[in-house]
Amino acid sequence: MSAPLQQFDSKDLKQALKAGTFTMSLGPFAHLVSGSSDALLDFLEDTYRDYNVDLQPRDVTEIVLSLKAPNFVRRFVRRQITPDPGFDVPAVPLPLRMAPLAFEMGLNLSVALKCCRLMTIHAGVVADEKGAIVMSAASGGGKSTLTAALMAEGYRLFSDEFALVDLENASLHPYPRPISLKQQSIPVVRDIVGSDQISDLITGTPKGDIAYCRVKKSDLSADNQTSHAKLILFPRFEEGVSPVARMLNPAEAIMRLIPASTNYNLLGEPAFNAVVKLARNARAYEISYGSTAQSLRLISELGG
Amino acid sequence: MDLQVLKIIVGDKPLPEGFLRQTEVIKFADTNHVLGQMAHQYRREKSPGLADAFKNAKLRSRHDHIMLHFEMERVARALTNSGIKAVVLKGGAYVARGLTASRGRRVSDLDILVASDQLDVTEKLLEAAGWATDEQTDNPYDQQYYREHMHELPPLRHKTRGTIVDVHHSLLPKTARHQVNVSEMMSCAEHLDEEGLWSFQMMDIFIHSAVHAFVDGQLDVPVRTLVELNLLFADLSDTDRDGIVDRAKALGATKAVGLALWSIGRLFAHNQARESSIRLVPAHRHLPLKYALLSKAADNAFSPMAKAFLYVRGHFLRMPFYLLVPHLVRKAVRWRPGQNLPHELPTP
Repeated sequence: MSAPLQQFDSKDLKQALKAGTFTMSLGPFAHLVSGSSDALLDFLEDTYRDYNVDLQPRDVTEIVLSLKAPNFVRRFVRRQITPDPGFDVPAVPLPLRMAPLAFEMGLNLSVALKCCRLMTIHAGVVADEKGAIVMSAASGGGKSTLTAALMAEGYRLFSDEFALVDLENASLHPYPRPISLKQQSIPVVRDIVGSDQISDLITGTPKGDIAYCRVKKSDLSADNQTSHAKLILFPRFEEGVSPVARMLNPAEAIMRLIPASTNYNLLGEPAFNAVVKLARNARAYEISYGSTAQSLRLISELGG
Repeated sequence: MDLQVLKIIVGDKPLPEGFLRQTEVIKFADTNHVLGQMAHQYRREKSPGLADAFKNAKLRSRHDHIMLHFEMERVARALTNSGIKAVVLKGGAYVARGLTASRGRRVSDLDILVASDQLDVTEKLLEAAGWATDEQTDNPYDQQYYREHMHELPPLRHKTRGTIVDVHHSLLPKTARHQVNVSEMMSCAEHLDEEGLWSFQMMDIFIHSAVHAFVDGQLDVPVRTLVELNLLFADLSDTDRDGIVDRAKALGATKAVGLALWSIGRLFAHNQARESSIRLVPAHRHLPLKYALLSKAADNAFSPMAKAFLYVRGHFLRMPFYLLVPHLVRKAVRWRPGQNLPHELPTP
């Protein structure tokens, strides 16, 4: 039966990963993962230790990720790893030690391109009992730092990558995977959450230095409790800028959320209705700030 | 994978027991572009995960079909009052006619066929309506290569919508070893009232699919092609099935249709297809080719060999050596490592 990963024996986990029967269920998705590298197992045993996993699949799933060498030679010489989610991806082979990155990228691509039941928007989401905050920003816009900081403030983490919007009632579904931190955001977040919550640093990846921030146990056990958005933020981190918030009307917010969706065009009308509902029932702001402390103050002033 | 999986995909056999094996079948179907077709054939009780996978696959093809209907309407509009008879080919025709083969099928571009003396006018009209030569082939060599030797114009991409139209003036390259009687097929084409365009009659739709699969290229999407031929054959009326052998002979598509019927007969245990196939291609003929085709579809231990064989055969069929050798040299010189990596995310 499914249980937290750390309760399993390494040997059994390794075998299940090798056989491609290792299953991790989280929020609305079940992921079937295969890969025989120790770097992958080490990462899972560390960063995913509290996640519910199974050694056998409990249902059919479309999210099937295989992590393997790009070719025969690279299994032995200057070993490499690539994610194979079952369709062509623009993934460059990575050195084996970057297995965590290959795993995270592979899962993100799978969810972005396989999920049709929910509208997917590239955004960070956290929530408290009054509602959820959706943060949509371009890569490097400070979304992950802000998400991690809000999580440290006591908010529940939904996801730092995907807002999963219900097509019926526009509620948000939690999908709390580890937060991926890049470059300068790593020391910032380490200061806020403590170094024991951050994975080992992976240096020199195509995205620069990378580390993963662990998710709280209580957030994992609440992975089926949805929430409604109360705030939609378009954050912009700029060195030395004084904090400012500009209110957006729902139409503006909708027009900015749509291009951030990976399946809006595919879903069509239901996705349009969902995003309209999402924006109408929340307040939307564009915020600029020069430090994490500023952004947190700004968000609490806005009613976050 | 065992080719019995094709019977599962078309619903002739139940899914295997166990979620792991079921997930493998779903993944195989998805990778081979037939998950949507499977979703429509499969009506037995489903686990929530399976139901989800099927629903998603149907959603994806629904999106494609909406796009395709829109593009067909735009092409028809662009050609209004020009007197051009544009015949929609392949996936576009299946969707426009609502054939079983279209249900759940993904379609990414629109193929049309026009008479060769109307090719220039067609190109001009489509350009006026916003289509333009695609960046990838917008160089003198590719332009000249397509126009001199191929059976279609270089792909036209719409400047704002990004959708692609392939304009054909024949079904096989001018330089190919086999030729079929295209003008006869065009003269029997039927009007698609909804779109203002045309399609081949049912028998010829099947024959074109067979020709495309077996005497042109290297069977690029083997599983989808074989599943599709089976569904197209199932959609033929009894009269059409009886007449297919004579029609194939009359059009010069004996070998292609013989191989197509042989494949269906063998893979889907279809007796009528098997009997007709023998009338076109005797049972003992083309054995290496037949098994190479199956092996490529099965993606088993022999398929690298089968793929190599079909690759060479594909080029051998497409053009004579005095054209092929310089062309391959040219492609090799232009090739750079990594140039075929996709630049954009694939659409879901």
